[in-house]
Amino acid sequence: MQWLESVQNGPRLSVTTPLEEVETAAANTDALVLEFDAFRDGRGFSLASILRERGYAGRLIAAGHVLPDQARHLRRSGFDAVELSPGADIETWKRMDTAFDAAYQPAEEKAQTIWQRRAAARASTPPRETPPKPDGDLQALADRLNAQVADAGPAQILTAALDPALGLNTAAISSFGAESAALLHLIAEQDRSVPVVFLETGQHFFQTLQYRSQLSEKLGLSDVRLVTPDATEKADLDARDDLWKTDADACCDLRKTRPLARATAGFSALITGRKRYQNEDRAELLPFEVLDGVLRINPLAAWTAEDVEDHLVAHDLPRHPLVDQGYLSIGCWPCTRAVEAGEDARAGRWSGLDKTECGIHLGRSQPIAA
Amino acid sequence: MYRYDEFDAALVRERVEEFRDQVERRASGALTEDQFKPLRLMNGVYLQLHAYMLRVAVPYGVMSGAQMRRLAHIARVYDKGYGHFTTRCNIQYNWPALTDLPAILSELAEVEMHAIQTSGNCIRNTTTDVFAGAADDELEDPRPWCEVIRQWSTIHPEFSFLPRKFKIAVVAAEKDRAAIRTHDVGLQIVKGADGGTAFRVFVGGGQGRLPHIAQEIAPAVPGHELLAYLTAILRAWNLLGRRDNIHKARIKILVASLGIDAFRTEVDKHFATLRQEDLRIPDAELTRIQSYFTPPVFADLPKTSAAFDRAVLADPDFARFSRNNIRRHKQPGYASVIVSLKPVDGVPGDITDAQMDLVADLAERYSFDEVRAAYEQNLVLPHVRLDDTPALWRELLAAGLATPNADLVTDIIACPGLDYCSLANARSIPVAQALSRQLGDLDYQERVGPVRINMSGCINACGHHHVGHIGVLGVDRKGEEYYQITVGGSPDEQAALGEIVGRSLPSEEVAPAIARALDRYLEVRTEGERFIDTVRRLGADPFRDAIYETADAVA
Repeated sequence: MQWLESVQNGPRLSVTTPLEEVETAAANTDALVLEFDAFRDGRGFSLASILRERGYAGRLIAAGHVLPDQARHLRRSGFDAVELSPGADIETWKRMDTAFDAAYQPAEEKAQTIWQRRAAARASTPPRETPPKPDGDLQALADRLNAQVADAGPAQILTAALDPALGLNTAAISSFGAESAALLHLIAEQDRSVPVVFLETGQHFFQTLQYRSQLSEKLGLSDVRLVTPDATEKADLDARDDLWKTDADACCDLRKTRPLARATAGFSALITGRKRYQNEDRAELLPFEVLDGVLRINPLAAWTAEDVEDHLVAHDLPRHPLVDQGYLSIGCWPCTRAVEAGEDARAGRWSGLDKTECGIHLGRSQPIAA
Repeated sequence: MYRYDEFDAALVRERVEEFRDQVERRASGALTEDQFKPLRLMNGVYLQLHAYMLRVAVPYGVMSGAQMRRLAHIARVYDKGYGHFTTRCNIQYNWPALTDLPAILSELAEVEMHAIQTSGNCIRNTTTDVFAGAADDELEDPRPWCEVIRQWSTIHPEFSFLPRKFKIAVVAAEKDRAAIRTHDVGLQIVKGADGGTAFRVFVGGGQGRLPHIAQEIAPAVPGHELLAYLTAILRAWNLLGRRDNIHKARIKILVASLGIDAFRTEVDKHFATLRQEDLRIPDAELTRIQSYFTPPVFADLPKTSAAFDRAVLADPDFARFSRNNIRRHKQPGYASVIVSLKPVDGVPGDITDAQMDLVADLAERYSFDEVRAAYEQNLVLPHVRLDDTPALWRELLAAGLATPNADLVTDIIACPGLDYCSLANARSIPVAQALSRQLGDLDYQERVGPVRINMSGCINACGHHHVGHIGVLGVDRKGEEYYQITVGGSPDEQAALGEIVGRSLPSEEVAPAIARALDRYLEVRTEGERFIDTVRRLGADPFRDAIYETADAVA
């Protein structure tokens, strides 16, 4: 595009001129000036496009009332020069002409359209591994990622997991418990919009709910989703909110496993904060694993309680208010107690029962459908 | 639903930066207000009676839970805790501060949303059937084509400074649920001669001061020629459309003045010299876009649901909701649920931030993370298990979102009117509220059946009054707000403009007059006859008589 500071020679027609007359004039010249009577009058864009499509190869110059904001419209319609009005700021014209890197629709310019660039990207990159769907492919992906991040820290594991090239649709699940701030902080460092699913069981400590709001706001998490039990199921199974007394497994199933399955139905990958040190069931935990057709990402698998503590201190992250009172792993109030010094952190969960997991991190033993 | 790739995301970011540059140049005086106005309008920013108004695009009315949640967040943080869904399936915020706009646009960009081309003399947001992808009578899902049109029309070099705005609507069924014949271009997907997708094209529809029903210009344009054909239509209008009179600039005036045949000849001339190959969307690109709209993974369910049937029997309120707000789905065991934004005494289309948050949750839990905006100013959860409808209904009910009045007399379309709009002659909201009170009895509404009441606060007809079965238009009579009533309009495949019944009424007489017209209908209808069919059979006279009965008796 040329920015012209002097008045050009050659036939000069208003953009209000009928198309036939413009075509006749163009047929007899190699430099045509189209003068805009008002910048709002967009006829000039159509006239230029038509002239170019019908084979006019001479110079096409825009003049009159045009704005820098129309530079790329002019260029892409087939103009090759603009006659600037006195006092025009040429820098603004140049800046607005390059305000966009690409455009969708084909036009009178050499640059590739977005559609062409997409096609070129498809053709030139080796056929990208199609987003893994079946368990087999996912397991292969998990194995590959585990090898890739063998010695990496949580941040690198997250970077690998959130790579758009994997084609995964990823969410995090968090209890907003004693150690949750570490993982949520690491996620927020990379992408605050990762959906964070919180199981609002209706039985949380008041302090947990407070902490959830405080921490979400502090970290700028933009998509924290509260997932509640199905109202009908709850009415059927636990109308009085006391199922935990008689059947803790059924209570977890109603308030955690089933809602989580519904809430995460659309996700192909879930980030969790589980760690090997937490209890024996988790001692073999890898950063990536496949559970029920979903990739589970455990960036903190290798961390110890001290690592978490160091991270919370280093980044001055707010603490769950119950930690001070001896709660090291925090779930619903009826099934959580403080632990004594020397006990494993999750010993305070379902204490007295032969139960160590609520079920959301175990495979589906039977279909979830009611 | 469609997800941005790097190119889409970059373009929206660049648009935010471009607008920031324009705002700075306006502030420095480099741009005059006259120059700045069309630029800000093309970014959705209006200057209204009391404040700036931002109109955010909801492309073809489709949103995810995360997007809806972000809209709620914007309402809460930057506005007064609510938003307004429009008849163009967009959402408007009435009270943003000008200085917050770049931040709002950035927040929108984060969730793949924008306000591009929601106003101004350019190609606007394409709308479609709110039940697209769920309706059992569609030939194919029209949304991929809407996305093709969205991309092609975004920052179009030739068509960003048109004589006036330009609106396109697409349907894929015989039944027209997007009012395509009231649009500048209406597209109906049909089967082409080769068995592929083709478009029956209507042109020259529009409402406003001089309403026209669109006429058919082409019976079956093949899918791969669609963009070339649209280009030819826009080009013919861009060169020949009037620019001397804002009220005569829309394409409907050009089509009406040339006649459809002469206009078709103009279009064909342009079509013949277009570089059609360039405008042919690559098959791979169409396939890429279509892949975003593959149906969700539906469960294999029986056609009927015991939970649904039990709830219908057990709870008359749910039974009523199910009769009026639950629609058939192509997938057995599923349904589409209409979330009414028309409670008694409410403002049609308004929704609070907390309600938006709830709808976002419900979409995620019950409807494969999808929610739709309907042009009737309601929301729709498109893919809900019948089994889940009782639970969903209870949650909607608790939030005031379960008014069981979809398509009934109180499902009123209304523009914001003189309460907000700088163009309006009269208020719409208080009249719509008075109607909702007068006609609110649910047994009565069900007895009356489907009646569309549409109202606009001025002749620009944003509230679609011309095509309401009953239309109400606010007019200014020597500084007083008066309301003109029409009957017999229709927005669908039998589109028609309503007939003005007589002199306009003061606001307090509107609701009683319409109630009398509906009572008259109940007297004269034949068994099972809908209101609009009775009007078509008997004409406007019986209703005119009813509307002016009391006034005349007094006079």
